[in-house]
Amino acid sequence: MTVYKPEIAKIKKVEQLTKTERLFDIELLSGKSLDHQPGQFVEVYVFGVGEAPISISSEPSKQPTFQLCVRAVGNVTNALHNKRAGEKIGIRGPYGKGFEYEYFIGKDILFIAGGLGLAPLRSFIRAVLNSRGDYGKVYILYGARRPQELLFRDELKEWEARKDVEYHATVDVGDETWQGNVGVITTLFPDIRFDPRKTQAIIIGPPVMYRFVINELKNRRVPDENIWISLERKMKCGVGKCGHCQINNVYVCQEGPVFNYKQIKSLPEAI
Amino acid sequence: MKSYLVSKGDFLELIDGMIENGKEVVAPVKQENQANFKRIKSTKDILWSGPQTVISPKGFVFPQEEELIEYEVEDGIWVGSKVEAKSTVLLGIHPCDINGIALLDKVFAEKNLDENYLKKRESATIIGVECLTPCSPESFCYRKGSVLPWDGFDLFLTDVGDDFFVEVGSEAGKTLISGISRKTIQSDAKKLKKIREKRDNLFAKKQRKLKPKLEELPKLLKENYDSPIWDERGAKCFGCGSCNMVCPTCYCFDVRDCVEINLKKGSRSRFWDGCMLTDFTRIASGEIFREERGARLRHRTNRKDFYLFEKWGRTFCTGCGRCGKACLTKIVDPLDIENELYGRKGRR
Repeated sequence: MTVYKPEIAKIKKVEQLTKTERLFDIELLSGKSLDHQPGQFVEVYVFGVGEAPISISSEPSKQPTFQLCVRAVGNVTNALHNKRAGEKIGIRGPYGKGFEYEYFIGKDILFIAGGLGLAPLRSFIRAVLNSRGDYGKVYILYGARRPQELLFRDELKEWEARKDVEYHATVDVGDETWQGNVGVITTLFPDIRFDPRKTQAIIIGPPVMYRFVINELKNRRVPDENIWISLERKMKCGVGKCGHCQINNVYVCQEGPVFNYKQIKSLPEAI
Repeated sequence: MKSYLVSKGDFLELIDGMIENGKEVVAPVKQENQANFKRIKSTKDILWSGPQTVISPKGFVFPQEEELIEYEVEDGIWVGSKVEAKSTVLLGIHPCDINGIALLDKVFAEKNLDENYLKKRESATIIGVECLTPCSPESFCYRKGSVLPWDGFDLFLTDVGDDFFVEVGSEAGKTLISGISRKTIQSDAKKLKKIREKRDNLFAKKQRKLKPKLEELPKLLKENYDSPIWDERGAKCFGCGSCNMVCPTCYCFDVRDCVEINLKKGSRSRFWDGCMLTDFTRIASGEIFREERGARLRHRTNRKDFYLFEKWGRTFCTGCGRCGKACLTKIVDPLDIENELYGRKGRR
């Protein structure tokens, strides 16, 4: 058993979330739990096609089943979209550093997700909501390009309905079905009041989003060490050897993908 | 470890005997008009003193293509790790390349053990040979403190006339020569010292100078992160990745699938990859994280003499000079870049 050998896993269920994203329930044949942290990723192997790094969407659990939300965009993810329940794939991981959620206990949390960034962030959101009493105030800001591109729509409704969560969503381009805010995610900021000292802001989204959201947080006087981001890079081997995910001297698959902003703001290649 | 004297005749006889017994012995040999590491049939084929081989011997422990796993998809799925290694003697390895392998040893044994590498490495016996004249006008090993091996050899030979002065780097090395080795005496050590002094003087005269101090390279590169040099040189770069391929310390790799025509069996193999290639950081969505050639040149140079230098406390460029020789537009040579950065700094 080398670090490059995948474990065999079975697809239990496939759910179409949007035109381009599907949610896969996956179970390791070994019956073991993946034992992951929110924010970690796995290398998904479609036999004969290749591997792709995919972040884990479900909350940490002792069960052997976990969820991956996958957009069909490249060779591997398109091949994965052709897989049906019952078919087998390979899994390596979990890899990288996720959110050590014990650290966040007792603190206010501001979740900020852009587009597919909700896929990894959902893992942490669900973990927090499952033990809601352990945390202070919880805010969720979510932005997508269009209403049809919103992920996990049933869950979004639940979050919206909860009294103990402040949830705001926005789309870049609205349509006749959309009653909510229209505009980029930073347009939601005037709506929320939070204590910058007590709040941990957690951002996951497309690369372009980080700079704008971090600026907004800085305007609201959130200290650097209260800002957390997850960076997307080309994680290939997952074990800190192959070199593809490197940001300056940092191997994202080892020291990330979750970083504290203070830790990486001096890396020119990061954001 | 200890040193011994071994007569050249005895040593060559020992190696030829091993070859006759079927042992795989790899050494630099002439190929076309160049030199290359190849399995030898006799020690007569060995090129003892140049020219420098086009590529380093790292491929014998980290092959250009190497299967990592194999699988079969029938009713169920079977996956197996593939770790292969053949007992091999790497003979006539120059200090720059021994040091290159010593650096690979560090990275592949760090945290998540890379058994594919480590198994091959364990199966290799490295017999180095000291360079007494520079092997190419591009080399600058003396400037990188790499004229002698740091680590990672079983035996290290220096030509002292009729004998080899042999430094022993491992128990396996000691055992190998136990039947033919003689103890050294004080005059042998003196003789070696003289040879090395002469060598140092020659290399100091012949090899291009490194203007900044070796230990200050990480600082120099850090300060010059935004230097225009990167784009100036990057504008001339073809992005061919030759510098990565010939480098004894480049170890980045890509992994690809290979499926048999029946679609039931297949394997995954790794291949050497290079940070100077456009696709190195291209992801499925089309985004390329290090798109500018200048930024890629900076990354490559920083890996050698800044990022990995800081991390491991040692330069990851052993001064072999192969990248400078292979580069079609002569922009990649680390010594050249570092001297230019240092010179510009001085003028400011």
